[in-house]
Amino acid sequence: MNHSLAFGGQGDAPVDPLPARLSNPGAPLLTPDCPDSHRQAAAMALPPLAATDLQDHLMVASNDLERLQRLLADACDTLMQHHHGADQAVKRLAAQITAPAQGQPNSDEARAALQHLACAITALQFQDLASQLVDHTHRRLRSCADRLAYDTMGEDEDGAALICAAPDRPNPVTQDEMDAGSIELF
Amino acid sequence: MHSILAVDDSASMRQMVSFTLRNAGFNVVEAVDGQDAFDKASGRSFSLVLTDQNMPRLDGIGLTKKLREHPNFKTTPILILTTESSDQMKQAGRAAGATGWLVKPFDPAKLVEVIGKVIR
Repeated sequence: MNHSLAFGGQGDAPVDPLPARLSNPGAPLLTPDCPDSHRQAAAMALPPLAATDLQDHLMVASNDLERLQRLLADACDTLMQHHHGADQAVKRLAAQITAPAQGQPNSDEARAALQHLACAITALQFQDLASQLVDHTHRRLRSCADRLAYDTMGEDEDGAALICAAPDRPNPVTQDEMDAGSIELF
Repeated sequence: MHSILAVDDSASMRQMVSFTLRNAGFNVVEAVDGQDAFDKASGRSFSLVLTDQNMPRLDGIGLTKKLREHPNFKTTPILILTTESSDQMKQAGRAAGATGWLVKPFDPAKLVEVIGKVIR
C-alpha cells in the first residue's frame, strides 16, 4: 500500500482522499483532519494474503466445531437409545428371574442387554474423538490469534513473539457420527 | 492366556479397549504412548500390540517401526486403532510393518473377531 497516498507522506501535508480511494478501494477515507486512530488503523491493516490465510483457518475451525456438535449429538442419542434398550432388557430378565412360574429366564434377553451395552461402548468413544477435534481446532485458533497479534502489534516488549504453529495436516477426525469404523488387514 | 499391549494416550479409550479385551479373556497391559509401550514391550513378550496412531513422544507408526526392529516383535501382530482413515496414513502403517488398520470408533465384537484372526 502506498502510504504516501493515504497519509500524505512523512509530513502532514493535506491529503486529497479521492485518489487514495481510487487506488485502493479498501483504504479508509482519510481526510486532513481525520483522527490519528484512523491513520493508525489504516497502517495496521492486514495484507490481503495474510487475511485470506487467516480466514481459511477460521472457516476450517468453524466447520470442525460444527462436526463436533454433530458428533456429540449423535453420541448422546446413541447412548440414550442403548441405555433405554439395556434397561428394558434387564427389567424383562429380572421379571423372568423373579417369576419362575412364568417359565425359565430367556437367555435372549441377556444377549439383548449385552448387545446394547456393546453398542454403548462404541458410542462412548466419542470422548476420544471429541477431544482430538477440540485439540486440533484449538491449535488452529491459537495460531490465528498469535499471527493477528504479531501482524498488528509486532514483537513483544520482552523479545520475539511466540506464534503457535497451525496444524500442518487436516484434522484427523473426519467422522461426524459414532458408527463403527472400517477394519483392514494388510 | 494371550497378553495384549494396548496403547493410547486417551484414558477413556484405554478403558474401553481393556474392558472389551478382558471380557473376551485376554490379559491386557496398558501404555500411555508409544515410548511407554516400547519400554514395556522390551521386557516381555505380547501376543499382539493394539496401538493408537496420534500420540505424544512416539506415535503408532513410529512404535511399529521400533517393534519390528526388536527381535521379540518381528512377527507379532500389530494393529493400529486410530481416527485416521486416509489411504496415505494406511500405506504408511503398512510400510512400517503394521498387520492391520482399524478406524475408530471400534465395535467390541468386531475388534475381538479381528484379533482372533491374527493372533497366534
